[in-house]
Amino acid sequence: MALLQIQEPGGKQAKPLHRLAVGIDLGTTNSLVSASCGPGVKTLPDSAGQHLLPSVVHYRKGETALVGFEAKSLLVEDPLNTIASAKRLLGKSLAELKSQQGYLPFEFDGSRDDGAPAILTASGSKDAVQISADILSTLVARAEASLKGSLEGAVITVPAYFNDAQRQQTKDAAQLAGLNVLRLLNEPTAAAVAYGLDSEDQGNIIVFDLGGGTFDVSLLSLKRGVFEVLATGGDTSLGGDDVDHAIADWIASQMSESGGIEIPSKARLLQLANGAKHQLSDSKVITISSDAWSVELTESVLKEIIADLIRRTITSCRRVLRDAGLAVGDIDNIVMVGGSTRMPLVREAVAEFFGKAPLTDIDPDKVVAIGAGIQADVLIGNKSADSFLLLDVNPLSLGIETMGELVEKIIPRNTTIPVAKAQEFTTFKDGQTVMTLHVVQGERELVSDCRSLARFELREIPAMVAGAAKIRVTFQVDADGLLSVSAEELSTGKKAEIQVKPSYGLESGIIEGMLQDSHSNAQIDMETRSIKEAQLDATQLLDAIASALRIDGDLLSEDEANVLAKSIQKLESIMIDGSSVQIHGATEELNQVSSDFAAKRMDLHIANALRGESIEEVEKQVD
Amino acid sequence: MQSLKSNYFQLFNLPQSWDIDQDALSDEYRKQQGEVHPDRFAGAIDTEKLRALQLSSYLNEAYETLKSPLRRAAYLLSLHDIDVEQVDQSDLSMDLLLEQIQLREKLDELPKDESALVDLDKLRAEVTVKLERQEKSFAECFAAANYDGAKKVYHELQFLNKLRTEIDAGEELRLGY
Repeated sequence: MALLQIQEPGGKQAKPLHRLAVGIDLGTTNSLVSASCGPGVKTLPDSAGQHLLPSVVHYRKGETALVGFEAKSLLVEDPLNTIASAKRLLGKSLAELKSQQGYLPFEFDGSRDDGAPAILTASGSKDAVQISADILSTLVARAEASLKGSLEGAVITVPAYFNDAQRQQTKDAAQLAGLNVLRLLNEPTAAAVAYGLDSEDQGNIIVFDLGGGTFDVSLLSLKRGVFEVLATGGDTSLGGDDVDHAIADWIASQMSESGGIEIPSKARLLQLANGAKHQLSDSKVITISSDAWSVELTESVLKEIIADLIRRTITSCRRVLRDAGLAVGDIDNIVMVGGSTRMPLVREAVAEFFGKAPLTDIDPDKVVAIGAGIQADVLIGNKSADSFLLLDVNPLSLGIETMGELVEKIIPRNTTIPVAKAQEFTTFKDGQTVMTLHVVQGERELVSDCRSLARFELREIPAMVAGAAKIRVTFQVDADGLLSVSAEELSTGKKAEIQVKPSYGLESGIIEGMLQDSHSNAQIDMETRSIKEAQLDATQLLDAIASALRIDGDLLSEDEANVLAKSIQKLESIMIDGSSVQIHGATEELNQVSSDFAAKRMDLHIANALRGESIEEVEKQVD
Repeated sequence: MQSLKSNYFQLFNLPQSWDIDQDALSDEYRKQQGEVHPDRFAGAIDTEKLRALQLSSYLNEAYETLKSPLRRAAYLLSLHDIDVEQVDQSDLSMDLLLEQIQLREKLDELPKDESALVDLDKLRAEVTVKLERQEKSFAECFAAANYDGAKKVYHELQFLNKLRTEIDAGEELRLGY
């Protein structure tokens, strides 16, 4: 007898509908969109069959923006209205941008009071968020046409080194394009996901991402479907473009050695170099020719030309291993991402350092988008919940400014996110009722060397003596790497909170420039730090003496007061530009000079106490 | 969504002791993170998302605490109401301080270029041996419920860890990382 099938209450009624979600690699040069189609995730082509969408936008008066190849073809013809590499503008101020990249041909909008770079085009002022949104909209339209339905969500990839401001603006751009962001995913993590699901690997994975202008390296561990990012590192000013420049310089030097040849323009040299680089991916020796002149370039000569660039990538790999506490032998797989990893010399150097050949099966230009598409499919709910999970880390330390312009790190870099950490701080001056909290990002010890993320104030702190108030500051970083900070005065429960949004107008420089600086400058920092600390000690002593003088100044004779005043003056002038040893000396001297005064005050207070009423007497009065 | 246990050891189903099974810890961490991580609630309502954020953050904090030997030691002591932030002069023996000064002098006297790398390795090995010895001694004190003794050892561990971090930093500087 056939049994009737009874469904469990609340159980799955039917196969759930496939919900549409995409992965988007929003790149500096090219962008891609991917989605699950049939058995796997694939990148989606446009109607002409092109998968890559050049990240170039052309603005025209009264018409919609052109995005992609058409826009790219107008770069030379109409440079003022055609914008490439908008990703480099994200999270930056105009001033910062101009100091970094003097060659930008655009006319900028000076009327923006937030200091964000906005470009004046034929269809109005456009900032990085709007330009990125136009690229995203084009990809969304492509996906919706291809998938025949409207999108419910997207995973967008960002470089692991993107700071809070850059992440926030990427998210803003997606919102402007009407996209529901399921997650901002670090590019290397996405690449590992693309490989990780094809094989049921367990172990430690290095993602080596050498693009046109940046280099990222990440170390991930994969175990039972959970990806854990153990460490990230890299170099934002290292990429395939540098290889072209190195070859171009070599060609120029060869030409001048030949003599009697007019060296062509830099652009022409770079064109020759780029061609040579691509040819050398397939053969061991090639001929570079320009007009009647020609020269042979062998792979072994190229190896010498780019030896320094390759050494820098390997140094970053070493550093990431160190951060995670692992050795070369602990690495099971190396994933290659970015067009520049097609160079055999790069692959060989990586294989040599890690002692095993890197994975190159997936097109290094598409691997990030494919990983994002896989993750989008999981987050939207098309894959079962226990399929896999990504645990990311925050790439840069987050901290707060303390007295003396020093940074107290609250969340160190490479901490797994989401994370919440609290630390207690106190007031510096008697009767202090306001505390300014300055949130910074970076590895250095001095505030001025880190990136300023936000400032806010906690007010109405009850007036107490210095050091008595307890203020708990909590940092919360969510799974997208976005930070919020709150501060609470513990006795009153008074609270202030801030969602950290991009703050412009900062001459902060590039992120891992900051990271590298933190190491090369460790020595300088130490002396600067000890000066700051000495200044802090001096200030505290000066404040204490000033407040003592206000109360009990009449205890001193005129002579004593003069000696003390001189000593105070001396310390005040030395602490401005003296060394830490000099400041310590002057502080110690003032301490000595004021010790008699302190003793007198002590005597007076003891005498007062002895003269005072006994506890019993006080109690009687209360009754 | 479940709520999490407040004791980190109970949270990961581990006995409350110095010696823990690191694999069991990381397996249990991954399992639970798989249940509470915000990615599991990408399409959920805001209150659920917030709860996921809190639980996942808490899990990360608990995991990082137990994973690090030094933080695990401090946490074990805190469960017995011992505050390691409170340092008494009597906790630090003169021998310990002298030894620390000697080790630090050794580090400072090394040349500031790559020629120091071999000696840095030796120094790191020396410090690591001391660390392992003290970790064992911490485990013994703690198992014997000698918490004051364990606290003294903890401060030694703190010194040694700091020193090892500085040796690593010194190596990075010399390698030009």
